[in-house]
Amino acid sequence: MSSIQEQMRIRARELLTSGQVQMVIGWEKGSFWYLSPPVFITDPAEVDRLIWDEFCTHNLAKYLLDYKLSEDKIALFVKGCDTRGINRLLQDNQIQRDKVYLIGIKCSGIKDGRQAQVLGEERKGEVPLAYKCSYCTSPAPLVYDELIEGTDDSKVKSENFKGTGRYELVEKIEAMTPDERYAFWTGHYDRCLRCYACRNICPACNCRECIFDRSQSGWCGKQMNRSENLYFAITRAMHVAGRCIECGECERACPVGIPIMALNQKIIKEINDLFGEYEAGVDLEMKPPMVQYNSDDPDEFE
Amino acid sequence: MLKIKQTEMPQLLNAWAQKSRVFVPQDRGGVSAFLPWDGKGTLTLGKGNTLEPPKDIFFPRTETMYRYQVAEAATTLETMPPQKEQHVLVGIRSCDARSLEIMDDVFLTKGYEDEFYRQKRENTVVIALACNEALPTCFCTAFEIDPGRAEGVDVQMWMTSDSYLVEAITDKGEELLKQTSELLTPVENETLPDAAKPTLKVDVEGITEKLQQMFEHLYWAEVSRKCLGCGACTYLCPTCHCFDIQSENRGSSGFKFRCWDSCMFSEYTRMAGGHNPRPSKKERMRNRFLHKLQYIPERYGKYGCVGCGRCLDRCPVNVDITRVIREIKEVTL
Ligand code: SF4
Ligand code: SF4
Ligand code: SF4
Ligand code: SF4
Repeated sequence: MSSIQEQMRIRARELLTSGQVQMVIGWEKGSFWYLSPPVFITDPAEVDRLIWDEFCTHNLAKYLLDYKLSEDKIALFVKGCDTRGINRLLQDNQIQRDKVYLIGIKCSGIKDGRQAQVLGEERKGEVPLAYKCSYCTSPAPLVYDELIEGTDDSKVKSENFKGTGRYELVEKIEAMTPDERYAFWTGHYDRCLRCYACRNICPACNCRECIFDRSQSGWCGKQMNRSENLYFAITRAMHVAGRCIECGECERACPVGIPIMALNQKIIKEINDLFGEYEAGVDLEMKPPMVQYNSDDPDEFE
Repeated sequence: MLKIKQTEMPQLLNAWAQKSRVFVPQDRGGVSAFLPWDGKGTLTLGKGNTLEPPKDIFFPRTETMYRYQVAEAATTLETMPPQKEQHVLVGIRSCDARSLEIMDDVFLTKGYEDEFYRQKRENTVVIALACNEALPTCFCTAFEIDPGRAEGVDVQMWMTSDSYLVEAITDKGEELLKQTSELLTPVENETLPDAAKPTLKVDVEGITEKLQQMFEHLYWAEVSRKCLGCGACTYLCPTCHCFDIQSENRGSSGFKFRCWDSCMFSEYTRMAGGHNPRPSKKERMRNRFLHKLQYIPERYGKYGCVGCGRCLDRCPVNVDITRVIREIKEVTL
């Protein structure tokens, strides 16, 4: 069997040449060894740009929204976590299943590009697994039209895979006093640039118009200060509550390193405690806990 | 030329901080930025360039412009008091020094002077630090910037193995160094450390002329596909200077403020009534590159990019301006 990368290229060429799809979205090699950004291929002659390596972090699902109104059928490469993003968009009626062709990749973990940059290429071997991969429960794609099984499954050694640690930082923050917690979050969000990279990359953030793009509405202000920044942080966290698939893309995209996942995972933890275990985007038929009503809710709201 | 031990730098900063607000690279939650020195912070001076550019010292993220009060039919306006505080900006690199010249062009020339910017600019002594080492993302030399010596600054510093060499360039700089002469030792015949040699190279020759013919080119649709339309690139760019003006109303009083804005946002060009002349990321990204590489050069005779590499380092999807420049040079018209 050939490598994942070779198979990706073969299939992309076939799909484009046969006209089954008009575009293939995958990853290509970026400016530096630790970057494998998204690539959009429409010409079969360009399929050799596609790559598969330990830095193919990007969840490509969100890009489907850009082609929502297009007639084209698009092929997308998806890792396990990415397919949860697909389910997410399907559940919200954001995309049509028959307009996407999903090529699943059995993922063995992705490395942390930011830490790779810090360590340098000479210490490539020491680059740790991305945090989200260390507790990932669905490395195999959940939804796909075909599955690529490569010979290079062990590319990223899964010895860092702990299956635990999901709430490590959340628990640390929970143990803080309210003052310490305030200092922690204001310390981080004072840095927030309000660039909205976290929102724009997020497959759970798919409102046609975000409240933060409506600064004249009076709901939110455009000042970049502590109060507005915290308002943004809390609002976004609550808007993705129950729908966040824990892909970690928001935190990775944040240019100033804000630990956004701790906020998301705190909410996930609370939801699981209050409404029972729920993994967003895993089961297409199971409605997110915050969009349904159940008279047996264990919530003691009075 | 003067000299000070690296270990004595905090003392020098303390001394300047007696009279002025001193901004110097410090760590804030893992991010290096020019922050006010209070003697307690963790200095990152000399450890590569800051992630956040120095622009917000002159052009704050949010700045109140005036206050207003409405009582019956009369409105009273209260302008902001002139900013008198003296600033010392320590350790900007040659790329960022060039960015201040571009900001000066924008805010101070062509018949309009931005009062808010001018006051802060005039009240600031700018101290540059030469680069001994370039980051893999640095490409300042593409714009004929010398990493070993900055343009338009008041004082230039160089870092040696254990000291800083300090040289006043302007009278303003001379004046500042005089205030703290007891901490600075005069030296002669010191050899300056070699300037950094950026490895990231790009040839910008002819790029403006090429872009002048490319407004409708298909390239923009291609290159913008992966862009998220976030503001990371523009907010971290030392030369991006767009702002929005809005107000905060509370009953019968309120204030007008301006705050950073980004051409990568949809709201940026949305008109009253909903029309948007830059409806998709294709037009927005085109604007960003044309602004840097065509419009600013046409208007001010210099490129609007200084090769600091911040955007290509932090763009979540690796939109790399050097690659864009290379590709633009190659596309057929
Ligand atoms: S909030 Fe963050 S982790 Fe959750 S789905 Fe959005 S990008 Fe992914
Ligand atoms: S990506 Fe980071 S800096 Fe940008 S808006 Fe989100 S939290 Fe703020
Ligand atoms: S180029 Fe990159 S940083 Fe800039 S708006 Fe697009 S995704 Fe964001
Ligand atoms: S465009 Fe990018 S490299 Fe150029 S000055 Fe701005 S942030 Fe720096």
